[in-house]
Amino acid sequence: MDVIKTQGVTKVYNPEKIPVHALNGVDINIEEGEFTAIVGPSGSGKTTLLNIIGGLDRPSDGEVFVGGQDISQLSDNQLIDFRKEYIGFVFQAYNLIPVLTAKENVEFVMLLQKRSKEERDQRVQELMDSVGLSDKMDSRPAQLSGGQQQRVAVARALAPKPTFILADEPTANLDSKSTENLLDIMARLNKEENMTFVFSTHDQRVIDRARRVVTLVDGKISQDERRD
Amino acid sequence: MIPILAWRNLWRNPTRTLVLIGAIALGVWAGLFMTGFATGMIKSYISNAIDQIVSHIQIHHPNFSEDHDVKFMLDQPDQHAAEIAEKEEVKAVAVRTLASGMISSAKGARGIRVKGINPAQESAVTGLDQRIVEGDYFAGKRKNEILISRALAKKLKVKIRSKLVLNMQDLEGEITPAAFRVVGIFHTGNKPFDEGHVFVQRKDLNRLLTLTSAETVDPSMIGHEIAMLLHDTKNIPALQSAISKPDWEVENYKEISPDLELYESQMEFVSTIYLSIIMLALTFGIINTMLMAVLERIRELGMLMGIGMNKLKVFLMIMLEAVFLGAVAAPIGLTLGVVTIYFLGSSGLDLSMYSDSLEMYGMSPIVYFDVPAKVYWQIPVFVACTAILAALYPAYKAIKLKPVEAIRKI
Repeated sequence: MDVIKTQGVTKVYNPEKIPVHALNGVDINIEEGEFTAIVGPSGSGKTTLLNIIGGLDRPSDGEVFVGGQDISQLSDNQLIDFRKEYIGFVFQAYNLIPVLTAKENVEFVMLLQKRSKEERDQRVQELMDSVGLSDKMDSRPAQLSGGQQQRVAVARALAPKPTFILADEPTANLDSKSTENLLDIMARLNKEENMTFVFSTHDQRVIDRARRVVTLVDGKISQDERRD
Repeated sequence: MIPILAWRNLWRNPTRTLVLIGAIALGVWAGLFMTGFATGMIKSYISNAIDQIVSHIQIHHPNFSEDHDVKFMLDQPDQHAAEIAEKEEVKAVAVRTLASGMISSAKGARGIRVKGINPAQESAVTGLDQRIVEGDYFAGKRKNEILISRALAKKLKVKIRSKLVLNMQDLEGEITPAAFRVVGIFHTGNKPFDEGHVFVQRKDLNRLLTLTSAETVDPSMIGHEIAMLLHDTKNIPALQSAISKPDWEVENYKEISPDLELYESQMEFVSTIYLSIIMLALTFGIINTMLMAVLERIRELGMLMGIGMNKLKVFLMIMLEAVFLGAVAAPIGLTLGVVTIYFLGSSGLDLSMYSDSLEMYGMSPIVYFDVPAKVYWQIPVFVACTAILAALYPAYKAIKLKPVEAIRKI
């Protein structure tokens, strides 16, 4: 079953002045449970594609279906709600809320979803155990290492039980050990919970662990390799 | 979670937050201080004017106020005054004979208003006996005794027991000269009043006014003014209409002295004006701080919207941060203000070094601070409104951010 499907997605920045074609008719289908890396040189459109798939940006042309719904037709507020319910984000710079503890960061989106306290507590405990940080529940992001912060970010992304997780260069700021640790966790979650992961990355270590590698060059898919 | 997030956001930069809280608290304190000072001064002016000059209600002949001609007398003033004095809301009543004239000493002369008074009545109504700073308050042994102010004594270069000559028009329009001896020198603290008025005994003034009159005029029946002091100013309108007569002009202190009404009405607005100015200045401080707080976490706000926090919640979070700021600052400012007002309300602020200037305007050199009770609830409302207004623009900026651009912001 396709979790994500794009048809002829085009993105042109600055269309009226000096147009920059970031994506040129990208067609991609991502199925449930995939562990996909989108790779390519800088400026190839990896982050743009991730932003469009994640509903953070809109395509200039083409359609984006998530779980069968055309998200390019949603209003800004509908998109925010859509992201809250269906998509988990892991950012390159962790982007945790600095004034909240690790537990509160993980709990945050569930609060926006109005989940019960019981459900939240149970899910937070489960996820913090899963990312190996149950002893850091009450630590604020500044008290955690980069690797630990990114693991909290993964737990936060998983907390609302999204349809898939988008991770933009998740290992860019991590050392080798933290990278391996994070990839182990994500691979395990992918396997155990059948969670769909889509990465944009330059990192060979991530590419090596991906089961599908989509290569973008000049805004077009130049290669789509499956490693099943 | 939004209130918790807003509260913690407030303390991301404790120094900046504390500076702003200090500024708001100082603003609130300054608002209370200025209100207390201004209200204290206005009340001092009004109460001085009522106690020493106009009383609460005065009765005159309807034509007297126009040109203060001595022939416009009240009919049987003492009998009416006695009747009024029996009313329970009336504290004290005084009958006065009033004349205008020229007072001269060997060293100078001045135009003057002469008040002929019954010493005991005047003590009860204006407390004139308490304002004698030298000599006696009408010993009553001799005829033609006069009380003059310290300011006038200085101008005329006279002292106790000096002789002064009063020239005034009598009831027949004839100029009547009479010699008076200074028995007491008073000081009310109202320089214009002090320099323009002298007090003599009513029986002496009445006798002088009838010197050239036919024998049918009884000097004891002459009186131009009945002044009364009430226990409670709330009773003024009722008493004013109760004692009203067609051949009387019954005026309250606001009608007699419209400046008192002006000042009294200003008391209503003085706090609003001060608070508005202070809060307006603070608005820019809050806007600046909140805008900085928003601009320095653009990426975070973008991330929040990215992971599903809708614009309304982002907007509320920024607004709450400003409201919390005010909620912390206002009680601090209020507490400081209440303590200051309590202290300066009981001991007063001594402005004796400016007493000459203050007396020019009829104000006491010691200002007892007074803040109307309503100001204490007005202030939190003002602070809340200011905080909300000041946060509107930063909050608007926040919700206008595009998550995809904001997240990339370094």
